[in-house]
Amino acid sequence: MMRLDRYLRLCFGEALRGLIGHRRTAAPAVMIIAVSLVVFGGFLLVSDNLNDLLDRWRESGHVQIFLEADLTASQQQAVAAAIGASPEVDSFRFMSADDAAAQFREDFQELGDLLAFLEDNPLPASFVITVREGSRSEEALVVLTQRLGAMSGVDAAQYDLQVIRRLELGVNAVRFVGAVLGGAVLLAAIITTANVIQVLVVGRRREIVVLRLVGATESVVRGRFLAEGAIQGLLGSLLALLALYGIYKVGVAFMTEGGGPLLSLIDLHFFDVVLFAILIGSGVAAGLLGALLAFGAATNVER
Amino acid sequence: MIRCFHVTKRYGAITALRDISLQIDEGEFVFLTGASGAGKTTLLRLLYRAELPTSGQLIVAGRNLATMPRRQVPRFRRRLGLVFQDFKLIDDRSVFDNVALVGRVVGLSYTESQRRANELLRLVGVDGRAQLFPAQISGGEQQRVAISRALMTAPQLLLADEPTGNLDPDRAIEIMRIFRAINRRGTTVLVATHDPDLIAAMRRRTLILEAGLMRTLTAARKVP
Repeated sequence: MMRLDRYLRLCFGEALRGLIGHRRTAAPAVMIIAVSLVVFGGFLLVSDNLNDLLDRWRESGHVQIFLEADLTASQQQAVAAAIGASPEVDSFRFMSADDAAAQFREDFQELGDLLAFLEDNPLPASFVITVREGSRSEEALVVLTQRLGAMSGVDAAQYDLQVIRRLELGVNAVRFVGAVLGGAVLLAAIITTANVIQVLVVGRRREIVVLRLVGATESVVRGRFLAEGAIQGLLGSLLALLALYGIYKVGVAFMTEGGGPLLSLIDLHFFDVVLFAILIGSGVAAGLLGALLAFGAATNVER
Repeated sequence: MIRCFHVTKRYGAITALRDISLQIDEGEFVFLTGASGAGKTTLLRLLYRAELPTSGQLIVAGRNLATMPRRQVPRFRRRLGLVFQDFKLIDDRSVFDNVALVGRVVGLSYTESQRRANELLRLVGVDGRAQLFPAQISGGEQQRVAISRALMTAPQLLLADEPTGNLDPDRAIEIMRIFRAINRRGTTVLVATHDPDLIAAMRRRTLILEAGLMRTLTAARKVP
């Protein structure tokens, strides 16, 4: 049994030698792995950022109580007292109609001018309630919202469930499209890698024959081709990461400059360690799978 | 070292070897001769387990080849050294790499492989050509490189299939002298050749194949 360090050194050394010697043959496989991972990783990046936004939204535990127009000060105080008496409420603050308009202008800078065209401010006064951490489950928020919404002087009560649901649908759609598109391109990458390795195997037919004649085991004969697949996958995923980082930087600059209303709420970030590992792992796995598919060609070489 | 018991090899309707029985003892130097198509290469292929006999038993270096599982073939082949007419060198590797690679694929350390390759290339007299590629050296030198590669695993048995078929008579004699030196170190040598002059010059026991039948076993004669 060959020592593992010698085996790995042999396989990866031979694989590197083979890839450098046949770089023009290997380049298409590396490129298509990179392209497929840019597609796959791009969707991963978008859905991860949207997911973070959702998480922050969910964790905020905010309920908003919109007050009826023309509410007197004492009625308003009664609503405030009722809110303050609720055990689920951690804190709350009053937001006047003018505060709401100012907030709207800040959040939606491009649409803020709309309010100037309206005779009256259509935004109602409200109480913004922060719910205690233990009461932020979906069921608890629904019960609290219904109870507060039924109070006298309250026009409507809502928490962010509907928005979260819609965003969740969006995130899931992005993930689905990403999985389908990324999967399809990744499959193409696997097939291309398999073809490239088959070409390399055929080109080294004589070498394979010699290795078998001198007593090389199948794990040695095939190990180098597996290593070639893995290296191609690794190179492809590193290229994809570079490209994605470039796209991310350009995207962030564009969004910061444009200041889109929703995007300004997102704390954009690049891949964390887990997603980084997933992307690299996908590339290496695609290369390995391609090499495994190509083994038929190596098997056909004379033993 | 080699024992064949009633070995027959058929390819469909064609019988390449018919009821071959022979014995080659440890330390012997034996020629296998016969016209082209007589079955020399087929017999050698059976001996290094590239193929299995249709019937009969083959025992080589203590292993029964008919019952040996395929996964054990690599380990078995490390006990053999194989030399071919076409040298089977790897074109895009230097002379040195062609030899040293064998050590590494059978599990020797990088340093040990380098050391053995240097030693063996010196033994066959091509150490000065180590950094050249096969296409840059002569046929005789290529065969010497192939021999040093065959010796990398310190084989008990050296099988050579027409090793001088592509060489001129002088180079052929040189190769045979190398085989004789290897044999004197204790390695059993079996050389398949159809060159009667070479056999006459070497004066060793000779097995003669004719149309798949072992016709004659000439006795060994003393080397002058």
